[in-house]
Amino acid sequence: MRIDGYLPLRDYAAIGDGRTAALVGRDGSIDWLCLPNVDSPPLFDRIVHAGGGCFELQPDGPFDADRRYREGTNVLETTFRTGSGAVRVSDAMTLHDLTTLAPLRELVRVVEGLQGQVELRWRFEPRLDFGRRPLRLRRRDGVLVAANGKDALALSTWNAGHGSFGLAAGERATFAMTHAHMEPLVLPARADAERRLEEAASFWRDWSSRLRYDGPWRDAVVRSALALKLLAFSPSGCIVAAPTTSLPEQVGGDRNWDYRFGWLRDGVYTLRALLELGCEDEARAFFWWQMHATRTTEPELRPLYCIDGGLRDEETEAPAAGYRGSRPVRIGNAAATQLQLDTYGPMLEGVWRFWAKTGSLGAARPKEIAALADFVASEWRRPDQGIWESRDEPKQYVLSKAMCWTALDRAATLADEGVLPARPEWRETAREIRDWVESEGWDDVRRTYVCVPGEEVLDASVLTAALCAYTDAGDERFQATIAAHRAELGRGPFLYRFTGADELEGAFLTCSFWLVDALARAGRRDEAAELMEELLDAANDVGLYAEEIDPATGEFLGNLPQALVHLALVNAAVSFAGEADER
Amino acid sequence: MILGALAGGLVGTVVLTTGSRLAQQLGWTRMDIPLLLGTIFTPDRGRATVVGYAIHFFNGLVFSLAYGLVFEATGEAGWLFGLGLGAVHGAFAGGGLLSVLLPAVHPRMGKPWTDARDTPLLEPPGFLLSNYGRATLVWTFALHLAYGAIVGTFAALS
Repeated sequence: MRIDGYLPLRDYAAIGDGRTAALVGRDGSIDWLCLPNVDSPPLFDRIVHAGGGCFELQPDGPFDADRRYREGTNVLETTFRTGSGAVRVSDAMTLHDLTTLAPLRELVRVVEGLQGQVELRWRFEPRLDFGRRPLRLRRRDGVLVAANGKDALALSTWNAGHGSFGLAAGERATFAMTHAHMEPLVLPARADAERRLEEAASFWRDWSSRLRYDGPWRDAVVRSALALKLLAFSPSGCIVAAPTTSLPEQVGGDRNWDYRFGWLRDGVYTLRALLELGCEDEARAFFWWQMHATRTTEPELRPLYCIDGGLRDEETEAPAAGYRGSRPVRIGNAAATQLQLDTYGPMLEGVWRFWAKTGSLGAARPKEIAALADFVASEWRRPDQGIWESRDEPKQYVLSKAMCWTALDRAATLADEGVLPARPEWRETAREIRDWVESEGWDDVRRTYVCVPGEEVLDASVLTAALCAYTDAGDERFQATIAAHRAELGRGPFLYRFTGADELEGAFLTCSFWLVDALARAGRRDEAAELMEELLDAANDVGLYAEEIDPATGEFLGNLPQALVHLALVNAAVSFAGEADER
Repeated sequence: MILGALAGGLVGTVVLTTGSRLAQQLGWTRMDIPLLLGTIFTPDRGRATVVGYAIHFFNGLVFSLAYGLVFEATGEAGWLFGLGLGAVHGAFAGGGLLSVLLPAVHPRMGKPWTDARDTPLLEPPGFLLSNYGRATLVWTFALHLAYGAIVGTFAALS
């Protein structure tokens, strides 16, 4: 199963509590978990360092594993079958509890004997901050405890022996790992830990049952919504791009990034998906986070902000070997300080969408929104790093300009509605930008919008032009662009994100869902449906996606589970179902 | 002198509480006094923190009253005398009050006699508060010295 100590990324499922998320391997090993929050240092880091921290729990001997989430929940069930019997492991992170004093963070694993007798072994090996903060496990009153500075953790076990135990049908063993940050540990009673696991399942079931979507592929949409809820940092409303760092876009390569931040660009997809699914509380919280985070930098927008809305500029390297030798393992994301003009379009489209749906600007202030549009109107000619956050010289990216048009168009629309102060120059500049995109950004020979004028490269991100209001999906140029991009960047149902990306990384799953969206909007429903079915088949066994996929092998690449992919899936389904309340 | 001591008690408790929070933030200790005190009365973390802060401030005033009585009885007050009383207070708080008495009365903290009928939840402080971090005792003692010096100074000024 493991290659050089690493599981295929496809073999991971996620559990979480709205503050952090753990990745559970198909072999029962929890290989990634940051505590107390998703952007904190990891306690389990085996996913990027084969000898790293983990919490293994598996049969002692050969086994088959079969997994699923309990229906409508983020509680993972792994059934292990051996020659002598079967057991089921339920994994969940529990939620806040007002009836008993609950741990700050708690991960519960319940093992139930289903059939025959199964010998199991477990290994609890935390490694705080990639081993930079040593932990020494000690047994205190039967509980394994370790502490370093602000952080302490405890593992309480019941009926699980000291590293190995046997379980017969009908028997049950329980593990509760609790974490304390700047406070004493809370050591749970078995009944409370097990009750909280069931309550977490009830919460997730109840939450997902309230999702408002009755279109096709409902199961995949619900799973994506549950994944997105896992990626939401509840204290602030931010949705992280992924709970992991530096899972590689190419095995052995260095395109490894820290995704434990919230990206403004994703905001429009987030707001559309959440609002269309009826998750208005989450949409409001996310919008609130966006507005508060940007207040410190406005009128300039950074591409990404910390989960608490703060800024973090530095990018460092962790002392880890990297997933199958893919180094470096980065902490922090230097793209935070880049100029990415395409961020403004989705941001203002999101503001417009929020206003259109809720009738209010929520946490946004008209003066601040107007300042963003003013900034775009004065700065749109500048070269930038583009949507893919190139670390090379800035360029005149066509999508960035198109999104500047979106920003100004949306600002002008809001001004027409009396929501923002009127600025006649917004529409004038928008027209100027459109002229630039349609002349400089259009290649009349190849019949497509290009990535950068004068370059041969195509860039699949232009497929968002319809999603972000720049163009109508049925527009002749847009249709031609779809054809050109499928021909040049397509590999079966998958799309690389730009010309030459196949040398560097896998196909970018989000782009394929954007394509479904574009086809659905253009009324090409059969093609959209066929493509959607193929993409849904590419999910892992529990319905999750990483950022990228190797079209040849189906191997997952990049951080996972990735919010943008799941957002694109939901939005594509909503567009197909025609349920979206568009402009 | 008593009024001065009470005023000093208020300021001293602010310093003690803030210092304690600072020590948590710096990773020197995981002892969270408001949480420890508040969870005696409620399992709800939010309420516990509010209740705990209130109790801690009340305790701060009660102790300053005791300091004031000592100052009145001896007819002397000052930062050095306060510091001395703070040392006694700190030794009592670290060695007895938090280490021994709190676990004994705390309904959500495990004790040596906790059995299957109970559900121990909160990590006990251990010998001389060592479970909450090695620097906990030193820091607790130092903060009480500061508290004593502040109360002594205010009492002398009144």
